[in-house]
Amino acid sequence: MIPGPILDANVSALERAPRVLAAVRASALPADVDVWTTSQGEVSGRVGGVTLHHAEEPSRDARRWAAEAVDRATSANATRITVVGFALGHHLEALVRAFDGDVVVVEPDAGLLRLALSTRDLSDLLARVEIQTEQDLVGLENSCVVPYAPLRLLGGDAYAAAVKQCELAASRGVEGLRVLVVTPMYGGSHPIALQSHRALCRLGHDAELLDLADFLPSYQKLGLFGARPSRRRVTESLFSEALADGVAARVEEGGFDLVLALAQAPLGGNALEAIRRAGALSALWFVEDRRLFSYWREVAQHYDHVFTIQQGECAAEFRSAGAREVDYLPCAAAPDVHRPLALRAEERRVFGSDVSFVGAGYRNRRQSFRRFLDMDFRLWGSDWERAPEFDRVLQRGGTRVSTEDSVRIWNASKVNLNLHSSTYCDGVEPRGDFVNPRTFEIAASGAFQVVDRRSLLASAFDVGSEVVAVDSVSEMREATRRYLDEPEERARIAEAGRARVLREHTYDHRMESLVAQIVARHPARFSHGARPWTVGDARKEASGAVADYLARFDDATPFTLAEMVRPIPDAEGPLSEPEALFVFLQQFDDLYLSEYRR
Amino acid sequence: MTGQKILIVNLTRLGDLLQTSPTIASLRESDPAAEITLLVDKNFSEVCAGIPGVSRTIETDLDELGKCVLDGGRELLRAFESARALVEELREGRFDLALNYSSSRMSAVFMGLLRIPEVRGWCATPEGQRQISHPWSRLFATLCLNREMSDLNLVDHYRSIAGGNPGPQALLFETTTEARERARSLLGGVSQGRRLVAMQLGASRENRMWPRESFAQVGRDLQETNCHVVLVGGGRERELASAVRAEIGEHSTDLCGRTDIATLAAVLERSQLLVTGDTGPMHLAAAVGTPIVGLFFGPALPYDTGPYGVDHVLLHAAVECAPCAHSVTCLDAFCRREITPERVSIAARARLAGDWATLDELGSQPGSVRLFRTGFDSNGYFECRRLGGGPPPTEEVLRRAYRAVWLASLSDRPLPREGFADGVDTTPFASIVSMARRGLETAGRLETATRGGDGDLAEIQALGRTLAEVDANLAHVASVEPTVRPLTQLFRFEQESLAPGSVAALARAHRGIYGQLEFQANAMAAMLSPANVMEDSYASANQRG
Repeated sequence: MIPGPILDANVSALERAPRVLAAVRASALPADVDVWTTSQGEVSGRVGGVTLHHAEEPSRDARRWAAEAVDRATSANATRITVVGFALGHHLEALVRAFDGDVVVVEPDAGLLRLALSTRDLSDLLARVEIQTEQDLVGLENSCVVPYAPLRLLGGDAYAAAVKQCELAASRGVEGLRVLVVTPMYGGSHPIALQSHRALCRLGHDAELLDLADFLPSYQKLGLFGARPSRRRVTESLFSEALADGVAARVEEGGFDLVLALAQAPLGGNALEAIRRAGALSALWFVEDRRLFSYWREVAQHYDHVFTIQQGECAAEFRSAGAREVDYLPCAAAPDVHRPLALRAEERRVFGSDVSFVGAGYRNRRQSFRRFLDMDFRLWGSDWERAPEFDRVLQRGGTRVSTEDSVRIWNASKVNLNLHSSTYCDGVEPRGDFVNPRTFEIAASGAFQVVDRRSLLASAFDVGSEVVAVDSVSEMREATRRYLDEPEERARIAEAGRARVLREHTYDHRMESLVAQIVARHPARFSHGARPWTVGDARKEASGAVADYLARFDDATPFTLAEMVRPIPDAEGPLSEPEALFVFLQQFDDLYLSEYRR
Repeated sequence: MTGQKILIVNLTRLGDLLQTSPTIASLRESDPAAEITLLVDKNFSEVCAGIPGVSRTIETDLDELGKCVLDGGRELLRAFESARALVEELREGRFDLALNYSSSRMSAVFMGLLRIPEVRGWCATPEGQRQISHPWSRLFATLCLNREMSDLNLVDHYRSIAGGNPGPQALLFETTTEARERARSLLGGVSQGRRLVAMQLGASRENRMWPRESFAQVGRDLQETNCHVVLVGGGRERELASAVRAEIGEHSTDLCGRTDIATLAAVLERSQLLVTGDTGPMHLAAAVGTPIVGLFFGPALPYDTGPYGVDHVLLHAAVECAPCAHSVTCLDAFCRREITPERVSIAARARLAGDWATLDELGSQPGSVRLFRTGFDSNGYFECRRLGGGPPPTEEVLRRAYRAVWLASLSDRPLPREGFADGVDTTPFASIVSMARRGLETAGRLETATRGGDGDLAEIQALGRTLAEVDANLAHVASVEPTVRPLTQLFRFEQESLAPGSVAALARAHRGIYGQLEFQANAMAAMLSPANVMEDSYASANQRG
């Protein structure tokens, strides 16, 4: 079958979505299209080698897909489903038959939509669903976002981006969540917890930090009991359980919507179940290599949502351990901390060198950094004991370096090495996937880095122009030498890297995304927990007479009918038009809507 | 004035829109050049295409508005904007007259926004105060609050509010040739030689639905007596219909969700009878002239919303708590079971056969269920005549007396020459008469005292206090004696709707409404005492007075 022009019936049905219609009209059909009629007389098709629907039984297959989508929406109490991907519409036709609520469709590829509109009379479907463009998403609140998987294969990043946009739109207006951020007692995820908490506050949530590092001195003093190691582990475990119970007690008291725990936070199954009973959702941001640590296998099933810094098989592994929802959430930087510094000469002398590394002395780093000992190289950080070859370059006797000093070092060094740790390989880990926080932090600091290549690096940075990546220690040495001689190129790459972080990789971005993904899974729950709209919010979008009417209220006044009509009985003289309209809406609410509020 | 631009606001359901059709015909008859616009809820706009005489329909989407208000926040702003846009659109219509058939403060405020020179029905003053601006609208509002004492049909209220020609004694709906063709094809499988009986199973609300098993049994009974049963209704009733159809058996067809309004009308037109609750399709059947066996229970009353036409048979479960308020959530809707399928089957078969003797006998059976035959009285107003004979129950006596009083005082129809029956305590009516007289006399003195604007202030104040006392006493009697409530409620609506003016003008206006109250209460007392002879009508009483 050769697709012809857009069918007239579809054009008339799409007239109520003029932007979409215009985009479709301006688009061309995708290349490599194959459309056919099945033996049952149904239309299916393939684009770029990806089959859009079942080749023989598209509507039957669509019913299965729709049933799953409805299950998902029902379990989330959603009244609206947002589908990313139109394809030829079979899945949407099945969905509107199976789902009573609203269906919104977002199709990032206008050409694909053109294909559907040129091949099938979809006027009934178009009358039932609302099509939106990803640039102009409105009214997705309380909606469950469901990607149509085949198009992810076809559209790759564009579809992933559209899904993310939809999730953000679904969470729009969700502010003021009560969030408890639980830190570990110590470790690399502790500062991430602090930054996450700050970002949540900046985003307008009512976030509280439960900093378990306060208990670290006591925990460390458990050794004073002088117990055997095996007995001591029992005591430590009971100590952790006591902390976990304390966290649950706090949640029971605090009326939280969400508990966000960072990796290594001492929360076990009992505490997480208590948190669930207290009515809060729980999320774990597992900012570690799942292959290196295994404790997540015991706790994943007790969290409502797990965020990982790894992709690929990672989600499947977490799910097989019982995790309900698993999403990718890479590391990030805090631009107010990780920032360019104007260093004084003295600071440059103390912290500066041609080449530096800040971090712990893992095996592969010990092996690799020997090869930089012929340069002006300084090594900062802990765990470099029993490596006398580094004595000359190791700073401050191998003590821990503060965040503020790390930023000074990165700013003062010409080339910052960034080699992801590995406990089993000697140099660059060949199957390294996630990107460590240091990559984002150095870039945010406006500093130049040479980083070992990770499979997920290219999705975060444009390799070559925003960071320099290498596949081996030899390449790292070679790149270091080369860029030492090219100060302008270093500056250009560092600046581009920083700009990218500011655009996409701050903790604000991560927390916004985390909240959006949680809200997308539990839309109805958060539509109630969300901060109510205030007059200030309404004023930003209002114009004309209603804007004038709103001027009489404080910005903080809740934007509700009750508040809008409250001053009216005391007013003298005729009602203004906005007053009368708000009274009308309030009467309408009393008359028709009270039963829906029960 | 000809070529008037008239707006009719009826934001309720399918049935209510059909019940507006005689009014539209009457307006059209009085002013063939009139431009008649209907404002309706989008969900029910389809029916407007078949109502003759409508120049234009403006739809509003109340579901969407409700969703926006419920969602709040940004959506509330959208709700505001869409309400504003609707007001703008209606203002642009530059209407001369609006008939508001929705009795609610919501509709009043909305009508107030439209700046239409004459609004009949609920409206709001510029200050937002409710104003019910036509005597029949005030009566309608009164009877909405006293439904158990109401004997006038909604259609007659609508017609009387519009005024002008009486219009046809029928609901009107024009189906199309295409729809008739579709109906013919949908009924292609109907068994030859069998009479077609339609059954409407669903209703807008659960408490208006007759039990599924009862419908199934009636369906079985009918098909055993040479009928073919067609189940009609919307898509929501598919599941229900398929269960009922399975129980009825082969001589049945399920058309639920398969007809638009015009096709449903054509299906009903081909049917010899419709068995239904108080539903929109009941009014559609009335409009196409199909006889109806109507089942009334819960909040439904046959007098109020019975099918406007002759010779329909209505069964009403007149249980103690009937009619239930619309806001009630009943925990045991036993009234639905009071109307048994056996009785409905007999009624349906008898109505098919035109066997009124059997129906009369059925009406005489003991129990809470009453049977009525619909028709029109000598004044041309719809009435439900009770079948089965026997002395009328007290509430029927009250309803009939009130009906006579309303028609006499608002439409100048003669009062019956003789009283109805004994058994109702007339003392409260006598109290109202004496209070109304005191009010009338005091208002007269107040008018005299304030005429010319230079009266004795102390006297004026004392008279004002007396009037306030009269009104308080009226309210007190009404709270103790429910039988007089329609009188005092109507009086309050009249009082509330008096145009602002000088004290003298207000006093004069009050004389008018106290006088009306006195006439009404007096007539009630007289009609409920069989020895008395009636005044002809309010106008003739006034002439003599």
